[in-house]
Amino acid sequence: MLDTGTLIEVLIIIVKAWILTGIIFSLPMPLTWLERKVAGHIHVRLGPMRVGPHGIFQPLADTLKLILKEDIVPDRADRFLFKLAPLIAMIPAFLVFVAIPFGENVTIPFINKEVSLYLSDMNVGILYVLAIGGLGIYGIIFGGWASNSKYALLGGLRSAAQMISYEIALSFACIGVVMMTDSLSLVEMVRAQAGGMHHWNILYLPIGPVWFVIFLIAALAEMNRIPFDLPEDEGTLASGFHTEYSGMRFSYFMLAEYVAMVSVSVLIVIMFFGGWHPPLEGALFNLVPGIFWFMAKAIAFIYFFMWLRFTLPRYRYDQLMTIGWKILIPISLVSILITGLMKI
Amino acid sequence: MSNGPSRITDFIKKALFVDFIKGLAITLRYNVSRSITLRYPDQEKWVPYRRFRGQHTLNKDVNGRELCVACELCSKACPTKCITVVPMEDDSGRGIADRVAKVWKVELTRCLFCGYCEDACPTRAVRLGRDYELACFDLSCATKSKEELLEPQSIPETIKGGFVVKAKFVRSPEGIKVVPDLRMSKKRLL
Repeated sequence: MLDTGTLIEVLIIIVKAWILTGIIFSLPMPLTWLERKVAGHIHVRLGPMRVGPHGIFQPLADTLKLILKEDIVPDRADRFLFKLAPLIAMIPAFLVFVAIPFGENVTIPFINKEVSLYLSDMNVGILYVLAIGGLGIYGIIFGGWASNSKYALLGGLRSAAQMISYEIALSFACIGVVMMTDSLSLVEMVRAQAGGMHHWNILYLPIGPVWFVIFLIAALAEMNRIPFDLPEDEGTLASGFHTEYSGMRFSYFMLAEYVAMVSVSVLIVIMFFGGWHPPLEGALFNLVPGIFWFMAKAIAFIYFFMWLRFTLPRYRYDQLMTIGWKILIPISLVSILITGLMKI
Repeated sequence: MSNGPSRITDFIKKALFVDFIKGLAITLRYNVSRSITLRYPDQEKWVPYRRFRGQHTLNKDVNGRELCVACELCSKACPTKCITVVPMEDDSGRGIADRVAKVWKVELTRCLFCGYCEDACPTRAVRLGRDYELACFDLSCATKSKEELLEPQSIPETIKGGFVVKAKFVRSPEGIKVVPDLRMSKKRLL
């Protein structure tokens, strides 16, 4: 029998899922604005300035434009796959957030109900994130394959190769964090890093920073951002896998890319930078709610990825493979050994 | 190239991402530096130096008499023959001599702003001014008559120029203009 308690629990989960989806869906809008602003200021320009104060409504104008644009399906393209690909790219990017915790339980005022700031605390959270995050690549490969265009196909193939090379290093980095924190659950991972900066995994010396760098590089490659944005290499492939896409379908790919950037930033914060824990112990730091620490750290990493994008050039394809197979994977194997020895 | 110590330092530099950090420091410095964007025509406008060669102006002397004596040297000197001068006798005291221009017009579509006319002018009546927004909706405004050119310049001669001032974008039936705020409260160098 269904009792009221279970019903309320289910209701809360549904409401949380709606709120989370809404937030993530609208997040790429300020992020595109931020990215263009960062690009502008790094180029000693101003970036968008004309739509609203400091161009803050530029994403709305862009969205309107994208909705109004003609949705072109190329002649002789595989129509079914072509239309399916953007959704396959987008949905896993959202699904990752099911397992991501944003903070400890909070009590909602007025109704005095304790609510957790995550949809589910899986005991294999990190595996779930890796598995679902890896699915998004199918969208890119399908998009490249179905477009009936050589640029798109090459972009999709590059994406597949890149995925295979860097997923290994990424998983190894996750294994490293699992060894350091003794848990596969993301919530437990954050709890293990409580009590000030020196407990964070990034300062688990000497191996923490190594894992962090491996994870960062592999994650950059996984989310197709510069310096590893080979699948959409503007210089040689027009714009890679989404060359033939226009209008809303194109924007779904962009949406997936920005959501992936957010999820990687959030994962880095959870795995290496102590999640919602303040950097120092003390009453003053505990005054600020954990969710704000969490968001501040995530935003810092989002900015870092944008900063990186306008600093580094793109790697050549063979360099990409060399970094993946000859550098990252051997280093992660050695690091696992060292982490194991440290745990004895 | 590949001797011992440099290979070791190269390896250490690579392992510690020295070059990456240098590059990131440079871009961060640019990120917080002041932008060089000139926000023309929305909010800012460049005020040229006095030597700038824009649209022609005809000058008057301190008593308000036209300096032009209609000697037609400017139209003779003009390489594109875009200046038309028709002289006339006039003893009403309008000009500094009895001879004044009945018609003095310049076709800006053909003018190449070389400044030979102001070099040729014996009385310094014609000068190339500092107005550079010459676009309009039809060709009629491309020919400037004496009456239009005799009007005072939008940027007075006393202003040295060479800086950016706040400006206002004005849209009117005659065309669009960017009106500079010459009180120089917020000027900056480019």
